[in-house]
Amino acid sequence: MGEARFETDFWKDAAARKSWDDLVPGEPRRTLPYLLTAEAIRKYCHAVGDLHPLYLDEAYAKRSPYGGLIAPPSIHILLMFACTPADDWMRSPGTVNAGQCWSYNLPARPGDSITLQARCLDKFMRKDRLFAVHDNVFFNQHGKVICSGRGQTVRPL
Amino acid sequence: MIDAYEEIRVGESIEGSCFAVTRDTIREFCDASLDYNPLHLDDEYMKGSFGKTQFGGIIMHGMTSFGLITRMLTDWLYERGGVHRRLETRWRAPVRPGDTIRPRARVAHRKLTHHGRWLLLEIELRNQRDELIAGGEAMAEFPLDLAAAVRA
Repeated sequence: MGEARFETDFWKDAAARKSWDDLVPGEPRRTLPYLLTAEAIRKYCHAVGDLHPLYLDEAYAKRSPYGGLIAPPSIHILLMFACTPADDWMRSPGTVNAGQCWSYNLPARPGDSITLQARCLDKFMRKDRLFAVHDNVFFNQHGKVICSGRGQTVRPL
Repeated sequence: MIDAYEEIRVGESIEGSCFAVTRDTIREFCDASLDYNPLHLDDEYMKGSFGKTQFGGIIMHGMTSFGLITRMLTDWLYERGGVHRRLETRWRAPVRPGDTIRPRARVAHRKLTHHGRWLLLEIELRNQRDELIAGGEAMAEFPLDLAAAVRA
């Protein structure tokens, strides 16, 4: 499989996206499977300056308890948008991140076929702002949980 | 195999690296995270208001802070036989190009469970003016059999 291409214009499909009013807490979001490559991990690591050899040096990683290259736990930052279709409300321009909470089970590894189960879990108003809670679990190709997490975003009106 | 759990003390602090934020680092994070929200790209758009909030220009992705905090924790934990298990953060203030940010952590609590040895860590990330950008907490586990815990 070649490197997947992703939409970089968040205004495209903006009209098709759900607003806060349309969100039904509990309803699953449509998601896309994603093949995590060593190249995508390398690019992510460089962007946050996280150059630990467990992520980049195969010989080092093989000798470690991890037995091979892994991705940093925070790779879900990439996985979230990699698994989210262009018309999803998580991509609405003006979405502001208010907080996140993630639990880590197993490391993601290069070559993993990642799937995401996700939903809007809750929506509420506070201090005149509209909030949505998104709830996510990433799995590897063996059906094992990589990580799970929740985030709160302030929704654009 | 390294196992430093018994040597770690409550109150011990962990210093992360400084990260200098520029328009280029923000753009690079767009490419790495696939998050091209105009909050991070479009100065014209950012002249508008967001409810009661006015940012006045592009801001860094909050998740950059999340990645920097994670890096601080994993660099510290890998050397000690620990596994990063949880991170919760709340964003307190935006970060703009020209800012320099730095994460720190403090070991707040040690806890033994039926099968686990755990640390609870308090987290904060501040800018060059010592303003609090993000606060939160983390959990780390020190498995008795690290290889089994990370390869299962």
